Amino acid sequence: MALSSDEIKAAMLAKAEKAPKPQLYVKDFYACDPDTKPRAIKNIANDLVKEGKLMFWSSGSTTMYALPSRIKNEETRDEAEENK
Amino acid sequence: MGYDPANPMVDRITDIGPPHFEQFFPPVVKKNYGKWLYHEITQPGVLMHKSETGDECWTVRVGAARLISIELIREMCDIADAHCDGYLRWTTRNNVEFMVDSKAKVQPLLDELASRGNKFPVGGTGAGVTNIVHTQGWVHCHTPATDASGVVKAVMDEIFDYFTSMTLPAQVRVALACCLNMCGAVHASDIAILGVHRKPPMIDHDAITGLCELPLAIASCPLGAVKPVKATNSKGEEVKSVKVNADRCMFCGNCYTMCPAMPLADPEGDGIAILVGGKVSNSRSMPKFSKLVIPFLPNTTPRWPETVAAVKNILEVYAKDARKYERVGEWAERIGWEKFFEKTGIPFTIKSVDDYRLAYDTWRTSTQFKFTSHIK
Amino acid sequence: MPKHETPLLDELEKGPWPSFVTDLKRQAETKPECWDILGQLELSFKDRITHWKHGGIVGVFGYGGGIVGRYSDSPKEFPGVAHFHTVRLNQPSSKFYGTKKLREICDLWEKYGSGMTNMHGSTGDLVLLGTTTPNLEPLFYDLTHDLNMDLGGSGSNLRTPACCLGKARCEWSCIDTQALCHHLTMHYQDEIHRPAFPYKFKFKMSGCPNDCVAAIARSDFAVIGTWRDDIRMDQDAVKGYINGDFPANGGSHAGRDWGKFNIKKEVLDLCPTNCMWMEGDELKIDNSECTRCMHCINVMPRALRPGADQGATICVGAKAPILDGAQFATMTIPFLKIDPETEFEAVIEVIEKIWDWWMEVGKNRERVGETIMRVGLPTFLKVMEVDIIPQHVREPRSNPYVFWQDEEVPGGFERDVIEFRKKHAQ
Repeated sequence: MALSSDEIKAAMLAKAEKAPKPQLYVKDFYACDPDTKPRAIKNIANDLVKEGKLMFWSSGSTTMYALPSRIKNEETRDEAEENK
Repeated sequence: MGYDPANPMVDRITDIGPPHFEQFFPPVVKKNYGKWLYHEITQPGVLMHKSETGDECWTVRVGAARLISIELIREMCDIADAHCDGYLRWTTRNNVEFMVDSKAKVQPLLDELASRGNKFPVGGTGAGVTNIVHTQGWVHCHTPATDASGVVKAVMDEIFDYFTSMTLPAQVRVALACCLNMCGAVHASDIAILGVHRKPPMIDHDAITGLCELPLAIASCPLGAVKPVKATNSKGEEVKSVKVNADRCMFCGNCYTMCPAMPLADPEGDGIAILVGGKVSNSRSMPKFSKLVIPFLPNTTPRWPETVAAVKNILEVYAKDARKYERVGEWAERIGWEKFFEKTGIPFTIKSVDDYRLAYDTWRTSTQFKFTSHIK
Repeated sequence: MPKHETPLLDELEKGPWPSFVTDLKRQAETKPECWDILGQLELSFKDRITHWKHGGIVGVFGYGGGIVGRYSDSPKEFPGVAHFHTVRLNQPSSKFYGTKKLREICDLWEKYGSGMTNMHGSTGDLVLLGTTTPNLEPLFYDLTHDLNMDLGGSGSNLRTPACCLGKARCEWSCIDTQALCHHLTMHYQDEIHRPAFPYKFKFKMSGCPNDCVAAIARSDFAVIGTWRDDIRMDQDAVKGYINGDFPANGGSHAGRDWGKFNIKKEVLDLCPTNCMWMEGDELKIDNSECTRCMHCINVMPRALRPGADQGATICVGAKAPILDGAQFATMTIPFLKIDPETEFEAVIEVIEKIWDWWMEVGKNRERVGETIMRVGLPTFLKVMEVDIIPQHVREPRSNPYVFWQDEEVPGGFERDVIEFRKKHAQ
């Protein structure tokens, strides 16, 4: 039985919180519900971004997902360095 | 109203895609869509397409830098407004095409283009060299091993006559990619100019913890040369970091893409490799990959004389020796690569012998070869 | 912003090819940050190394692509390019423009960016080069509201599809490349704007096997126009070429005296399948032997045209060499009708079959061509549910190591070794 999308969202956020690295590939979320197709998982992950609960993280060639609280971005890092 | 930073989501429009292409067709294109019968290049840079309706579309092809300003685009718009009913297009090779619907309108357009200095060279058609497709280089990229716009400018200056004429055995597609990522996909070009690194990455132990996810950096190496280690940063603290097994490094830069604390660019290490003989078209022979013939040329700024000379030499030897219609790769295969090296005078080095994956495909497993000067 | 001395770059103002340095200097008159582009580039020419840092996390809200972050590593010297992000605009299919739209784009970029562009990026996007993070949302608002345009793809997204100019101005196009490109672009807006896959995925469409957008070399999913009936011939025009009334190859070789046109040498002998011959002054083609390479059609465009039963060959899995070596796309579906009437339903079905499989089986940062290489072409062809035919290979395998399946062998794999030993002593 596939989980509901709210259940999957909760599982994804838990995974993003606990994962050793902050950035996760979309594939890392597949395990949140093996009964849901990858494209549906992808759509749910993107919904979480729209809701502001996840954010996109990009290396330029690869895009990943992360909890906003676990990511420092370039501009805030610069400011942090200047404030040292 | 415009954007309201206090309410960024109000009236937000997303996912509308590009404007429909048809609204940008010149009338002669719109009317004859799908009705074209044949074409003819009436002079270098000028094409005439004939429709079954009897209409003709005359195109003037103009070379441009890929890096261009809005001032220059506006100037192109002025020309298109004056001559082409306000339409123009770009080709996949960064050329600009101005289209008119009668032969009588061609010369005034050519005159107008010529009146604007060297901004709008007409050419890039038929059996010549067309514009070089290329990448960003030092103008805007973080991983390049060479510049792009500068090298292209220097090369095009030198082989300019091949852009404005049609004297070669076939079209020659030159392409430049400023690192092995090959955003410019030069792997199927007649002559490919490729930025290469030659030094393994340095490890910035001070920054790696904050900048990189070590598992991503380790996994990024196709040869397993990046390993986790405990290292000491400049403050004497022990940090989790990585090391690179230099013997296994192929200088692809994939680790740097994933981890900014592993820079590998270097003024002496970086430069250009030349690959030749690729093609995309299915015409006569199947598509072919470009092959590495010169493993390294230095980044001699500002005009890369070694690279310019190498490209010109290959072009000139090819122009003299190849048969009509033969692409560079077809010529090299007909005469044999050993002859290619002999005729071009390019020294054959061990660097051209493949020792990476799928390498066996390129080794000679036959007694058929030519006795060239390479055999002492 | 101060003007910088650029003695090295000034050398690139010489010569007959248009100079991007001259262009940058002109733009710097109204957009002074262009001086810092020149200044930083001059420093790179001096140091022979880039001065750009990695991209950061920038974008417009809700999109996971279309903006690529870029920062200078020398922001104090070159404040005008300290933050200098790339904006990818999705180009109209095959890059025709009206000047009104282009001027609107220029005005937008004058307001929010550096004034410098790439016409176009390698994937096909119209690239706006250099803006700051605070400008991104206002730019996107104006772009969508006033210009009716949108961003293209980057990262692990469907990248902006691209096509040749097709039926708009080419007599050889066997498919409506622009209609297909536009339709797929609109159909997959979500996949273009938000990450969807293990890695990037590219569509390219070429109208004929000349493949002017390099679909077979550069796209994960290549649609290349072709035909399956006879090459259309005009014998009078063939005679015209033989008599020298028309220039061969559409005039491509006019710059050099190659001698009188010789149909045997220039067409018949260069045909890769030798399927053409002359009977008197009539050209004959054994079309059943033709592999549609385009050479004869290229050489005699007035006399020969692609057949009328047109469609496309679908090839899958091209990529540049990173990491295991370059791959061309592998012929997967020999002939598919490309039908705008059905909204390209058949193409979409093939695409989604690939995606559903690749999203599941593909590893992170693995292009679909690499996945196919890893699992083997037979596995991929089974997934695609296509008939497996000799056309899928250049030649049959030369090793005998076939992965037979349990159900393919009478009696299956399970056997009784004790029964075996009764007849075969150890």
